[in-house]
Amino acid sequence: MKKFSQLAIPYIVWAALMILLPLLLIILYAFTKPGNEFIQFSLTLEHFAKFFTDPDFLLVLWRSLVIAFKTTLICGVLGYPVAYFIARSNDRVRNILILAITLPMWINMLVRTYAWIGLLSDGGILQKLLGLLGFGEPKLLYTEGAVLLGMVYNFIPFMILQINTSLCKLDHSLLEASADLGADRFQTFWRVVFPLSLPGVVSGITLVFLPAVSSFFIPKLLGGGQYFLIGNVIENQFITVGEWNFGSAISLIMVMVMMLSMYAVRRLDRSGGREEDRL
Amino acid sequence: MEPKKLIQFRNIVKEFDGQIVLKGVNLDICENEFVTLLGPSGCGKTTLLRILGGFLEATEGQVIFDGQDIAGVPPYKRELNTVFQKYALFPHMNVYQNIAFGLKIKKMSKDVIQQKVMKMLKLIGMEGYEDKNVTLLSGGQQQRVAIARALVNEPKVLLLDEPLGALDLKLRKEMQYELKRIQQEVGITFVYVTHDQEEALTMSDKIVVMKDGEICQVGSPLEIYNEPANRYVANFIGESNILPAVMVEDYKVRFDDITFDCVDHGFRPNEKVDVVIRPEDIDIVEPDKGKLTGEVLSVLFKGVHYEVIVETVPGTTVTVKMHVIGNRDVTSQNGKEKISANDFYVDIEDLDQLDEKEIVARSDAQAWNPETDEYISISHIDCKLEKKLGSYPVTFSTSSGTSVQRTIFVVNQPFVRNEKANEAVMAFNFFKAVDEIKESVALDTDLKTWASAQAWKLTDENESVDISVDYDFDDENIQEGVYNITFSTTGREFKIHTTDYVEEGREVGLTFFPEDIHVMEKMVF
Amino acid sequence: MKKQKRPIGKFLMGLTLLFFYLPIVFMIVFSFNDSKSLTHFSGFSTMWYTKMFQSRDMMESLYTTIIIAVLATAISTFVGTITAIGLSKSRRLVRRLVLQLNDFPIMNPEIVTAIGLMLLFITLRIERGFVTMLLAHIAFCIPYVILSVMPRLRALDPNLADAAMDLGATPWQSLFMVLVPQLMPGIVSGALIAFTMSFDDFIISYFVTGGGVKNLSIMVYTMSKRVNPSINAMSTLVVVLITLVLVAINLEPLLRARREKKK
Repeated sequence: MKKFSQLAIPYIVWAALMILLPLLLIILYAFTKPGNEFIQFSLTLEHFAKFFTDPDFLLVLWRSLVIAFKTTLICGVLGYPVAYFIARSNDRVRNILILAITLPMWINMLVRTYAWIGLLSDGGILQKLLGLLGFGEPKLLYTEGAVLLGMVYNFIPFMILQINTSLCKLDHSLLEASADLGADRFQTFWRVVFPLSLPGVVSGITLVFLPAVSSFFIPKLLGGGQYFLIGNVIENQFITVGEWNFGSAISLIMVMVMMLSMYAVRRLDRSGGREEDRL
Repeated sequence: MEPKKLIQFRNIVKEFDGQIVLKGVNLDICENEFVTLLGPSGCGKTTLLRILGGFLEATEGQVIFDGQDIAGVPPYKRELNTVFQKYALFPHMNVYQNIAFGLKIKKMSKDVIQQKVMKMLKLIGMEGYEDKNVTLLSGGQQQRVAIARALVNEPKVLLLDEPLGALDLKLRKEMQYELKRIQQEVGITFVYVTHDQEEALTMSDKIVVMKDGEICQVGSPLEIYNEPANRYVANFIGESNILPAVMVEDYKVRFDDITFDCVDHGFRPNEKVDVVIRPEDIDIVEPDKGKLTGEVLSVLFKGVHYEVIVETVPGTTVTVKMHVIGNRDVTSQNGKEKISANDFYVDIEDLDQLDEKEIVARSDAQAWNPETDEYISISHIDCKLEKKLGSYPVTFSTSSGTSVQRTIFVVNQPFVRNEKANEAVMAFNFFKAVDEIKESVALDTDLKTWASAQAWKLTDENESVDISVDYDFDDENIQEGVYNITFSTTGREFKIHTTDYVEEGREVGLTFFPEDIHVMEKMVF
Repeated sequence: MKKQKRPIGKFLMGLTLLFFYLPIVFMIVFSFNDSKSLTHFSGFSTMWYTKMFQSRDMMESLYTTIIIAVLATAISTFVGTITAIGLSKSRRLVRRLVLQLNDFPIMNPEIVTAIGLMLLFITLRIERGFVTMLLAHIAFCIPYVILSVMPRLRALDPNLADAAMDLGATPWQSLFMVLVPQLMPGIVSGALIAFTMSFDDFIISYFVTGGGVKNLSIMVYTMSKRVNPSINAMSTLVVVLITLVLVAINLEPLLRARREKKK
């Protein structure tokens, strides 16, 4: 029906303007000199040169990747057993647990992160609890640990839900087949369940790693400004300094690094799956 | 020598959420037997298999395997393997890894595994497929891999849960032979679950027919086919003529008012029974040589044989008169409205249900605008009916006053009773205009409606019986007049498989040997 | 499978839920504290709520948040539904390209979408403020609406609209009398997602706003450096509002089932 297909036209125009054009602009700004008119611009690589020759920027990028990596690792290690527990519950319990995990995700990330400030602050509950347990009374807020905690807190639901979905999709008869062929629970898990849940783990990694690399308000709120990540650099360039061209270049670099790491993870999964269990 | 009993089910009861799926099943399975659990879905056959496999626990009863109760033994310690309904091949492993799975769990050395897997691939005829991705195999190949994966562990028993269900017809036939061959070659017990009677008959040494969580009959395919224990088994296995009968005395059974010799005995005198005669056991002969005579209703060629339907006892019939009249629409004075309706008959007993809606429907009263063809609603019906036989005038009119008068005949309509066939048929005479018959798109159905034709069981008035319509006018060129219409039920029909052609409509005789009559106990529901 | 007690799993699950909800509960509790402290609960009071309601800044941001969320939801639900229907009747190539494009704002790191839109407004010399924030919110809400309407559309009989027109409905009638009612569950859940996304948004709003226009998130962010329990009060308000919307989302299918039963 020709008439109906025309209904999509306004959005196609809108999407070109509001989705595609902004992305092109980021690329354009990244490669042009600041202060130029939109009509006449001069291409340059100076922003990239600036970034890659300044050890401070490189350090920030490295630090962002490291903390995102740590976050992903913790989310995976903690999230997997939780997801497994949920997947093995009966339908009713499973639905309730999934709702319980989804619910906080809908509440403003910023608000949820802010809520930690009180818990972590000096003289706060957590510090006292650690003191009682004999860990002394360490400083918690405005440390790397606090930033890591905030990230895990914000992103672990994605990991749990992804893994849970892939575990639930698992055909129950595969577990029966494995038991039938002589594998006990432990063997069934490592030889059948885990390898088949890897796609969920990979998409979980994607959903945790990417926002962790680019996050800027978690380090700002819980790291207290001492803990500067690549997202904070971009924020600074755009909001405080106003160097949009350099800011665009940095975000372009960030996106490239993200894509590279995701490519690496996917490769790893695929070859890992094939290598698994080879004679 | 008595074969050794390998598996014994002792009074197995299984309950799911208060629903009893198995009602105390007792069954012995011997060594090297191909046993089929046969029954419709929901009969409990898969549940029984899963209890044997260890995936379910029986609520009550024992499963004895090789002399030991295996109730608490988890699946991975049982000496049997399963081929699952949809194969349950591990999608992240190739053919080789799937088959090697069980051996690797047992920590066998690599070269032993290699040797055994290769042997299995040879058995299933899939050498050279070891590196193939199992998700890319055809259904039949996946099936073979699933069998190999189970058999490589050298189980004492192989359980197969509807393994051919997902395959197409041709492949299914091929796999039936393949499975039988594999079973004979490896020489172990197969317990096979299916709802397909043909599969069961082809492959099994022993068939277990199940219904509603109970075993109906256990026996060899031949026994089950030739001596079904009851109507249910007879119906489920193969095609059959099943009829109610009375066992007059030993070796004498009576049905359709004729007493026949048979080979069955041990029933009470005059006990009500069911009789099965297989279609291929009946021969068609000259009418005077037959034990029964009848008319050939239909002949269908089925590839190897003809399937002939012979009616030995005619059905119940009733003939009514159709009064075909000219079109008698009434047109209003201004020509803007037309109205039409028919006279009709009504049974005095149905008078109570005759409300205005029903009168409009029975008389087919309608009003319309002849220019636009738009319908106009009939706003007023004037008629005084009494619960007495006779004819009563009825007037239909629209809101603008266009009206037509017709007659309702209240009659005491007799119905035809047929005690022998336990049924009754009834229909009414009726009036129709020429155009209404010509315009009918489904005349048979319309005739039944117009005549209010119905048939029912004498023993249960609510159980209706199918009727067919017969008439000999040409509905395309029908003229005014009176026509006979006959409504009839199906009589006693026999299905016969024969290689000789007979003409439809011929009078023939049917004959069979005393041993072809299989007498069964009446089923108690 | 046999039911097991699974004590370790239960313990872990409990810990996880505690981890998820502790900060939120903590924040709600301390919004009723009668002192400025974030560590000592000295007594119950609603003073921080009073302060919040008296603060012009906070009330303005609450107002902005709600207005933008309502407008963005209404516009994006309408446009998203119409577009989804249009796309379902478009050629495959067009549909795939548009859906691909549609996925960008969902898949991209939010900060990238944010700076992209900021650059767009700068380049087009649109003064940043309420309007730009609204446009940006519409831009990131529509993809979610399309995403939740599309699957229902796919499940629909493709001949439905044709059947309606065959029976004499005009294209617009068949759209609103046949297609839209069929898509209602998808449209409703799309609208609810759009509302919560808009209501909660921080990153994109933060980059595309200007002229002192703030929503609640920006408010919290800019005030977080100083201890101000009014933020707790405001955050509690946000939590309550979003929870209400979520309850609506989760009750909706239940209510619909009941309504259908009644029929």
